Amino acid sequence: MSSMFGALGISASGMAAERLRMDVTSDNLANADSTKGANGQPYQRQEVVLEAGGQSFSDVLGNAQAGVQATGIVNDPAPGRKVYDPSHPDADAQGYVTLPNVNTVTEMTDLITESRSYEANVQAMDTAKQLYLKTLEVLR
Amino acid sequence: MGLFDLTDMVVQRGLEGASLRQQVLANNLANANTAGFKRSDVDFESTLSSALGSGDAGQAVADVSFTPQTDNTTSMTSDGNNVNTDSEMSSLTQNAIQYETLAAVERERMGMIQSAMGGN
Repeated sequence: MSSMFGALGISASGMAAERLRMDVTSDNLANADSTKGANGQPYQRQEVVLEAGGQSFSDVLGNAQAGVQATGIVNDPAPGRKVYDPSHPDADAQGYVTLPNVNTVTEMTDLITESRSYEANVQAMDTAKQLYLKTLEVLR
Repeated sequence: MGLFDLTDMVVQRGLEGASLRQQVLANNLANANTAGFKRSDVDFESTLSSALGSGDAGQAVADVSFTPQTDNTTSMTSDGNNVNTDSEMSSLTQNAIQYETLAAVERERMGMIQSAMGGN
């Protein structure tokens, strides 16, 4: 019989993935105006790449490999915004400052999506827990 | 006839199917933001009902196996993902109620066996 604990693990993997996405989005928001990073370049917006665990669900069932996993955090290659501000210490020879390619509105909507997805996973985990407790009642 | 009759077997296999469906739906929700992911679902009710309709129902129900089916035909978002969180949540609730109903039936039947054995 397939284990109900599998469902708990699957939902936990979804929660972990969404939390990582929230971390990265918060990082993007915090650095929306960072004109210089460790490499001397303006901050580049980052994104989490998610991958479904296992090839097909029936293959991996019972091996607890289903669920979702983050396979990496990649930089968004889009160019940054250029703003004319000659007095800025990071301004180029023409007086333009390159700001990060972070759009605050995009990040805020991403944050809402991530938070809602996290809640959906919590709900699924709660349902699995309830079912597990119902099974215990059969034995009572 | 053994201690467990056909109804007990069907209820147990139904619990198994609902438990698998819970996992499949949880997996859909976990992958709601995975690019290119296609949702799966298990129709354990029709699998069980066709087993019940066959000649040797007892054997057919015992041999039944549930396989999740992937829906490759639809696309909800531009990244190829076809998970609709709302419909997954409603399926999840529906499946939970079904599981709880089956668990309640199983509990009753266990109670009958217990009282037949003189336990309390």
